[in-house]
Amino acid sequence: MGDEMPLKMTGVSKWFGNFRAVYELDFDVPQGSIVGFLGPNGAGKSTSLRMALGVLSPDRGEVSLLGQRPNLESLKRVGFLPEERGLYKKMSARQIITYFARLKGMTHRDARARADELLEMMGLGEFGRSRVTKLSKGMAQKVQILSALAHRPEFLILDEPFSGLDPVNQQALEDLIVEEHKRGATIIFSTHVMEHAERLCEKIVMMARGRKVFEGTLNDAFTALGRAVHIGVSEGFDLNAAITPAGFTASQDGDHWRISLTQNQSSQDALRAAIDAGAPITSFTPEEARLRDVFVSLVSEAEAQDLTDTLAADAAQGRDAA
Amino acid sequence: MIRSTYLVARRDYLGYVSAWGFWLGLLFTPIILGIFILAPTFAQNAQPTRYYTIIEQGTDFTEAMRAQMSSTEVRTARIILDPMSIADGEPSETLAAFDQALESGASVTEAYEAAGGNPATLPRADFVEVDPPVLTGAELAPYLIGETLIDTVDGPQPLFAALLVNQDTQEIEYWSENLQARTLISAARQAEQDLQLDRALAAVNVSRDVLTEARAARRDVKQQRVRSGEDANVTSEVTQADQAPFVVSIMMAFSLWFLIFSVINYLLMGTIEERSNKIFDSLLTSVKLPHLLAGKLIAVLLLALTLMTFWGVGSSLLTWVMRDSIPDDVGSFLGSMITAAANPALFIPAIISFVLGYLMYGSMFLALGSLCDTIQEAQTLMTPLFVMLMAPLAMLAFAVQDAESALIEIMAWVPFFTPFLLILRMPTEPPVWEVLAQLGMMALTTYIILQLATRVYRAGAVHGAGVNDVMAFFGKLIPGKKTAA
Repeated sequence: MGDEMPLKMTGVSKWFGNFRAVYELDFDVPQGSIVGFLGPNGAGKSTSLRMALGVLSPDRGEVSLLGQRPNLESLKRVGFLPEERGLYKKMSARQIITYFARLKGMTHRDARARADELLEMMGLGEFGRSRVTKLSKGMAQKVQILSALAHRPEFLILDEPFSGLDPVNQQALEDLIVEEHKRGATIIFSTHVMEHAERLCEKIVMMARGRKVFEGTLNDAFTALGRAVHIGVSEGFDLNAAITPAGFTASQDGDHWRISLTQNQSSQDALRAAIDAGAPITSFTPEEARLRDVFVSLVSEAEAQDLTDTLAADAAQGRDAA
Repeated sequence: MIRSTYLVARRDYLGYVSAWGFWLGLLFTPIILGIFILAPTFAQNAQPTRYYTIIEQGTDFTEAMRAQMSSTEVRTARIILDPMSIADGEPSETLAAFDQALESGASVTEAYEAAGGNPATLPRADFVEVDPPVLTGAELAPYLIGETLIDTVDGPQPLFAALLVNQDTQEIEYWSENLQARTLISAARQAEQDLQLDRALAAVNVSRDVLTEARAARRDVKQQRVRSGEDANVTSEVTQADQAPFVVSIMMAFSLWFLIFSVINYLLMGTIEERSNKIFDSLLTSVKLPHLLAGKLIAVLLLALTLMTFWGVGSSLLTWVMRDSIPDDVGSFLGSMITAAANPALFIPAIISFVLGYLMYGSMFLALGSLCDTIQEAQTLMTPLFVMLMAPLAMLAFAVQDAESALIEIMAWVPFFTPFLLILRMPTEPPVWEVLAQLGMMALTTYIILQLATRVYRAGAVHGAGVNDVMAFFGKLIPGKKTAA
């Protein structure tokens, strides 16, 4: 296993005709990490991953996959699960896993043994010789995932691996990802289901409208969103006026007050300031930060920015035309 | 490259041969071809005997008609007895025995048996004359429309036709409700021609035998050719061995066309399956696109070779099993064809043409398949390619008449037709520079098409381009036509 950065994208842009799919994308996937690649539908995640694999060529920028430009040699060390799932319908599960493992360089014997091992591990042992047409959708999806990791890749790129799976199989896939990570594989997976990223990822990259809107750890993400506490007080008490001298700002939110916390303030500090100000406190709830909120916030910002940019560009075009 | 191409080719090939459809096609194609070849004979044999009558005051026309119908039977019997001698005009002991028996007064069936033929193999006469059921044309109507049957050796049967020699006008009338069948009316016209010839000869006191003798005395026009080099000492007369290369080249060109036409469908269907099953991304991250395409083309080429081997071995076995019943001259003709096919001057260009022709058309169909999700979509784009593939088939008909015709010579320069037409031209010994130039052009065109096909395939497989994009592309080429933004 090499020491190279598994994936590094620098200033990568991609257009399809006039449509800008990805713009000035910079991010990297550190060795041994699990990275969540998040973004709403149409954010450019799949296009970015396809560029990372060399399936698509970027119009601008550089892609480094395992220390080199994507090529067949580096791809042999990569396992890829595409967003659009598909298998040869007339082949059996075992044949498919063996075939893709052999394309990645395994010998026939090793590939077949590995296929059997993986099928057993995923509870598909008895369906190994069944044609894909006989498998349920979930089973077929498992087979495709297994064919992506049969050759024991050191870097796994999974595009929307959880979509289409029921909760039981989603959990099984999460376990599999953890197992692969323990084995030493670096993993990046795209998703728009934040809970998977929260549970699995050390690092996340968020995209919206073709641009990166965030890159960092989960803590960085929560920090970026900002923390807050909710304090309920007796009717008529102005909490904002009472705690402003202590350096807090509160805004009324229904029957309670929301106090935004800065980097150096904790929820306990806010509670102490309210008590010290003599506030008749009826409730105290620290706001629990969720990745979903970070996601919605950042994506909304990006979309708003994009809309502003578009309107500005249209206005400039209108002025030019006039 | 070799490993990944091999793996793709292996998977595709095993996928094709494990399908029932392949084996059905492999087994049924020769059967269907055989049925096509034998269909006219079957149809003729299956046709029921038809009954006709002749109403005439005298017997002159009746006799002429009987002679005419008998000559048809004689011709049929001669063809069955010795088809090769009929084809090449060579004298044959079997036919001599048949003719001798006829001259000594034997019937056609008796003469056929005397010449060694099995009477059971002689087809029944299509038309049998019966006595007139009535004496005037006006009374024939119920018989001709089937209301009244006539007595025959096979029991009561409908009357198919009646030939009526009009006593007043001396015209010959042909009455039948079947307006399409031409055999009997043609025979009647020939009989009348013979009758009038006999009368004219009789008027100048010349016997009909004079004509027969004249025919017997006619000299054969022997086809000759100039031979040089090692062949200088061989007779200049054109032999089966000289004709064989032309026959073989036509068979090879047709086989090439048939194989390409049979197997390119597999390329199309295989690619459509991969596109509709969304396997492209998985494949393209495991194997380079050119290697993938090479694997696919090799798989179907192997499929074509499997078909050729199976049919070739099958035909050889059939020939071996039936070796005792193959007449000597047919055997010697087959031998001439095998010798002609083994001539490097014919088979080397044939193999090159086959490979390049297959790659040219195969890559086109591969690219086409990558743009289509369903066979219905593919049909929209396939029509021009099929038209292009039908053109060489039409030219085979010209080549049968004259392989050196200007049309074949010119069209052979069109690279899309070269694979088929160059083979047809080879027995005419075209200049070496022409052969090399045509092979070169074909190779260059194949290379360009492979490059274009790779780009189209990439567009379809990677970017999801489809039939509508192709239509939009061609739409832009039409002057004044606007395409949707």
